[in-house]
Amino acid sequence: MILKVDGLPGAEVDRYVRERDPRTGKSLLPWIDHLFYENGTRVENFYVRGMSLSAPSWSLLDTGQHLQIKGNVEFDRFTQHSYDYLSFLPVWLANIAKRRIDMPGSEVLDELGVPLLIDRYKNYERYVSFQTYERGIHYSLLEGAGKNYLATHSPEELFDEWTLGIGARNMIYDEVERELIQRLNDPRVRYLDYYTSEFDHAAHHNRDRATHLAALQELDGIVGRIWTAIEASPLAADTAFIVVSDHGINSDERYYSQGFNLVKLLASAEGGGHHIITKRRLLNDYALKGIYPLVPLITTTTPDSYYLKGQSSDYPTALVDFDGNERSGLHLRDSDLNLLHILLLQLQRRDLAPDVRRAATAAFFAALDRRRPEWQRTLEELQEELGALHRLIERQRALVVAQPKKWTPKDAAVGRDKEALRQAVRLDSWQGDELDYTEYARTLENLLALKAENVDPAHIRIPDVIAKGAMGTRNNINELQNYVVGLMPTGLQLAPDGALDMARSFKRIDYFALLRNTTVRNNVQPGLDNHPIDFLAAQLPVEALRSATGDPDLRADDCIWLYRGDDRQALVLARRERGDKILLRYLPIARLRQDADGRISFERQAWRADLPLKIWEDANVSLPAGADRAAWLSGWHTDVEWLHALHQTEYSNGLIGLHEELAKFPTLATEPDVPGLTRDEQLMHRFRRRQRTLIETDLFVHASNHWNFDVRGFNPGGNHGSFQRVSTHSTLMFAGGANTGIPRGLIISEPYDSLSFVPTVLTLTGQLPVPGAMLSVGYAQAPGQFPGRVITELFAAPRQPAQPVSTDTTGSRH
Amino acid sequence: MNNLSVGRGARQTISIFFSLLFIFLPAAQRTLRAQTPVADTQLVPPAASAPAQSDFRLERIPVAGGAELLTIFGKLPGVAAAERMSQHASASDMEEADQDVPLVTILRDTLGDDVRENDRLRYVWMHTYTRPRAEQRAAAAVPFFYNRVGNKGATKRVPPPVVDLAATGRDVWQKLFWTATQAILLDSYGFMLKATTRTYRRNVDDYRKAHIISALAILSLYEAQTGEQPVFSPGELQEIQARLMLTEKTFGGIVDDIYLQRVYQQQTSQWRDTRGHNWELLRQQAEATGLIFEPLELPDGSTTHALLWVARSDLDANRGRKFKGRFLNIASPWDDRRLRAWQGYTETRYYDADNRVVAADTPGAHAVELLPLALYGLDHPKIPILLVDFRNAFNPKEREMSKRVLEDVARNVLAVSRFDLPYLLGRTVYDYVTDKRGMDINQPSRLRAYSQLKLLLSLDASLDPELRHEVSQRLEHVSLNPLENGRAAEVRLARAQYEALLEYAQRPDGLPAQLDRDRRAEMVPLKHTRTEQTLFRLANTLSFGLYTHREQAAPNEAATALDTTRQLAYHRHFLREVARTSVRVEVQWNIADVRRSLAFIAEHGARADGQTAAAVARIFAHTQDEETQRLCLNGLYRINNETAKDALARIYGDEAQDERWRTLSAEYLRRAAREDQRITPATAKIIAEMGGQ
Repeated sequence: MILKVDGLPGAEVDRYVRERDPRTGKSLLPWIDHLFYENGTRVENFYVRGMSLSAPSWSLLDTGQHLQIKGNVEFDRFTQHSYDYLSFLPVWLANIAKRRIDMPGSEVLDELGVPLLIDRYKNYERYVSFQTYERGIHYSLLEGAGKNYLATHSPEELFDEWTLGIGARNMIYDEVERELIQRLNDPRVRYLDYYTSEFDHAAHHNRDRATHLAALQELDGIVGRIWTAIEASPLAADTAFIVVSDHGINSDERYYSQGFNLVKLLASAEGGGHHIITKRRLLNDYALKGIYPLVPLITTTTPDSYYLKGQSSDYPTALVDFDGNERSGLHLRDSDLNLLHILLLQLQRRDLAPDVRRAATAAFFAALDRRRPEWQRTLEELQEELGALHRLIERQRALVVAQPKKWTPKDAAVGRDKEALRQAVRLDSWQGDELDYTEYARTLENLLALKAENVDPAHIRIPDVIAKGAMGTRNNINELQNYVVGLMPTGLQLAPDGALDMARSFKRIDYFALLRNTTVRNNVQPGLDNHPIDFLAAQLPVEALRSATGDPDLRADDCIWLYRGDDRQALVLARRERGDKILLRYLPIARLRQDADGRISFERQAWRADLPLKIWEDANVSLPAGADRAAWLSGWHTDVEWLHALHQTEYSNGLIGLHEELAKFPTLATEPDVPGLTRDEQLMHRFRRRQRTLIETDLFVHASNHWNFDVRGFNPGGNHGSFQRVSTHSTLMFAGGANTGIPRGLIISEPYDSLSFVPTVLTLTGQLPVPGAMLSVGYAQAPGQFPGRVITELFAAPRQPAQPVSTDTTGSRH
Repeated sequence: MNNLSVGRGARQTISIFFSLLFIFLPAAQRTLRAQTPVADTQLVPPAASAPAQSDFRLERIPVAGGAELLTIFGKLPGVAAAERMSQHASASDMEEADQDVPLVTILRDTLGDDVRENDRLRYVWMHTYTRPRAEQRAAAAVPFFYNRVGNKGATKRVPPPVVDLAATGRDVWQKLFWTATQAILLDSYGFMLKATTRTYRRNVDDYRKAHIISALAILSLYEAQTGEQPVFSPGELQEIQARLMLTEKTFGGIVDDIYLQRVYQQQTSQWRDTRGHNWELLRQQAEATGLIFEPLELPDGSTTHALLWVARSDLDANRGRKFKGRFLNIASPWDDRRLRAWQGYTETRYYDADNRVVAADTPGAHAVELLPLALYGLDHPKIPILLVDFRNAFNPKEREMSKRVLEDVARNVLAVSRFDLPYLLGRTVYDYVTDKRGMDINQPSRLRAYSQLKLLLSLDASLDPELRHEVSQRLEHVSLNPLENGRAAEVRLARAQYEALLEYAQRPDGLPAQLDRDRRAEMVPLKHTRTEQTLFRLANTLSFGLYTHREQAAPNEAATALDTTRQLAYHRHFLREVARTSVRVEVQWNIADVRRSLAFIAEHGARADGQTAAAVARIFAHTQDEETQRLCLNGLYRINNETAKDALARIYGDEAQDERWRTLSAEYLRRAAREDQRITPATAKIIAEMGGQ
């Protein structure tokens, strides 16, 4: 039984558990105290690995695998397709029309071949509540909620409830609880979960103790009711009860969380005059359109666009995901596409002087030719992949047509009806992909077909060569430091040699400097930074790093650049070793630049205060005994060693989290080079990898403490999303019946992160062997398939060998 | 024809009578008249006070007959500063202004002992709440008159309580009765009578609401500043506030006590949410429009209001700039000639290069002269509410009046009923759109915002006196209610009314007599059936509260009778709360407290009700503590009603139940049958089938 609590901060739970209620003399959270503190085990240093953001964080907890889902919302740079992992209403409505069956996150993980923990249990063996990675929709719940609400209240109670205001949310949560308690009594059910986001909601809105405590006491009540139901169930002795949370929350009674409007900045002339796409309506609560349930893409049109006035629906140039709110992911259109677009618009002017036209034409083709090899390769690969996708669609269509149209109750019990619908949904999704990518490929092909010798750019129809809505490939550092946003007020300028003067013709923005240096006027809370943006992070190609320095010690498989100012920068380097081991290094640097040819230069600097993540000055860094601070911090260490050293610091495991967020982790469905694959399978694997690459943002923006980027509404109570310890420090607690062997009154101080959750649960339920124990028979999954560490302290005491509980040893997903 | 005209004449007479009642009764109806005078009383010096650091202190004054007045006094530095600014203030005025002001008094009926369980909170007096002058009343009845008509002068009368915490239901029934009378009788006699009575009722209600809001704010500040007070039992202060909060809801007065903590928690969370939300909305709007945001705090740190400023230097820099005033509801400052020629209040602040406010002598600091634009309340749903527009005094009043005028025209002139379908639909759409778009026309919130601002101006010493004076002046002009008094007048009234209350508490025929009458009214359920009680309640309502049925009993007799009743109510409430919140009682509650309450219920079970029995049965099911379970069964046996015996029968019939409890239940059921307790036929049948003796 897993109680999944969104945004439950470990430290806050601990504070209230230790406080006594003057009325009762008991803990303010008596059930959590009784069950997990006195009679269970808690992991007091449990962190989200990656951003403290629900969709990514639950994906780690629900799969036990490295991060594939990088935000609550992701955008595909080629097609503008959005993956909105939290909006459940569109899925529910689509499910009525038999067009969806699972939440988007589950669909994406299916495509990537990453199974969920719940997939280890057959349909009838599990009870899964409403949540981010849900499979199937339970409409019966809504019906039961109303009926049972009326049935369980007396007329007087109903009258009072009506007077005070009946809460539909509570009715649904009550019904989930009722159903769950019923299913606990079904001995066939081996997995149950209950998801609640009530605390998270309360803490986003309110920072005060009373509101937080009330929400926690509600949760404590749920813990008590579930536990007493477990005790009364037939499998009580064998049932483990786990409370887990995806992240903490940065809520402080002393401060309101202040919002900063990144969308407004990017839309402003000084921010680049972008038309911007978001997946959340700005000031949604104040918009009549906000009641539309299907959550469309929202376009913010700017009057300050330099060259795309009135074209916001066709040519947005920025995609912004600000969910979680203490961080944001920014996609900016490929700067060279901007350049080509501007030049095309200029070339289509009739009043352009011939010499300027000539120079502009040359500049257009120079830019195109510079990118031609890369884009040509992309086009060819994409066309190959689309061919494979088309053939896959044909096969899938045949499969779907062959599905039975009616299902018996027995079929429904094992989920065959749902699986059939899932196949149809998959077909639908692939057809959508084919259409969208084909359109992008068409325009790219047209663009690449342009040659200086045979085309007059003045007669080109722009939408035929520059795909509407597409961002193109990701910008490199050079482009982000010299991003083309429009023409200079003086228009195209010629250099003395008659060529276009690129420096004087185009307005360019260094987005690192612009974003970090932005200050506000209305920061009225003493102690808060006037810079809403703490630091920025971007991927850096390791090839460029390699050529920039001959230092073999800087050889890395991944490189991330952190920017907090010109002289306050760092590189996070990562090496992938055998057996999923990750080595990380933090290198303080300054003044990193990338030139137009991709060459990187930077100055190395000694450790100092005020670098990104503020490690050097943090008194809570915990180094091995006798270690020299500078020497140790400058070395390569495993992720676990870094976790030990940094988890108590202000940014806790941010170093590891940044790597998890910005690096790519292969899965079985994204590796084309796996032996034994057919050519089409290889192409589809490459296509899946491409799709994941296309959601990667140009810039990761990290908010300063008590700042947020929410523009949908206001979250003055608190936010999460950052690497601040208060946001990443989460909750994990275990209790269980006599046969589970869960130690009583144990506090585990060893730090763990979310990758440890699934392997630990599987070990607890007997689906993985206890580390160090003799491997016996019947385990479906080898331990090495999970990158996270099992929380071994749970299994230190002698215990009954657990039996594999699932009857399904095939790893069948549904 | 003749009959008809006689009938109409009679109705007219009745209507005029009711109209007069409307105008002159509301304050009087809370002044309960003595049926019998009672014993001596004496004023005892204050017994307890809050920590010296607080802006508030509490005085506890015993009242003869077994009660005490708990009065919260506050320092009002804002008032003192205003007096100092006033040219007409004498030395004694200024000296008086520096003294603490009595704000809220609560009467606790203790029955003259130290037993907390039998205490009952009764009246809440807000000392600024007073009976209006005749001119004020007359003006309050004038339709479409939205203005103040001066202040009430000196008074020696006891203030009317804003609420009787022990009889909140009475307000509900009287309100319903008045509503029905208005709709059925008064509305049928033309515009004048209808509009006059409706307008008057509205003003009276708003006047009372405004003072309830102030009382709430004071109690909340007192709670926040003084923390746990031995004077109030845990949660008591919150329950008082919950009852005051519920006065805003039509049926709030009859909501079960068990919900009070929830009401308090949800309402305070909601208010804090709204404040935080508006704080951030206003800050972001200020940032987006180039203005300066400054939050204003109450002494407990809660930000209830905020000022917007504009830098004089920005007026030129932003000339011609577009101004989005949707959420701010003020005119653009960028092309405003009034601001360019501004001679009013200004402030100078210093900023560093990063836009941080710094001290004047900070290196690199530059001075910015700020002009006040507007003051907002942050407690309005969705958007901050404009309270003061420094350029246009009529702007807030216009907004204040807009919805009121619409409603008055629709209801009084066009005679549209609330239930006319087209009006209902139109109104629903209008309300939805205004709510969704966040227009600041929510009247209850406006009342709250004004009441809090008055309090803030009184309590906050940090505001510049000149600015405070400007805000106060503008605020006085905004009020729509002729019954309202000015801030300085309210302070004088508070002092005078408190004196009058103390004098009333000293008089044998004053508060002690009223206490006795209230106790004898409280005894009614002990002597009368439910039907009789309903009839008495009806009589009370129909007589506009003038008649209240009371039992005849000597003071000591009443106290003794009420001692057990109140303790029973206390334990009933406690056990219901335990039952409601627990799935394993001993995990969540101090089991000794639960046992004590169960033992009390068992001892006085004959008078316990069905809800108590249901709570005891639920506790039995949710504990593994043997002693508690035994007490539960004993309690169910002693409670003489069907619910208790049905519960015992269910325990007896539950085969999964421990055999001991089934046997004990059977034994209790048999005994109950022998004692002729109240038993349903179904349970009687079970007992009959048990066999054995």
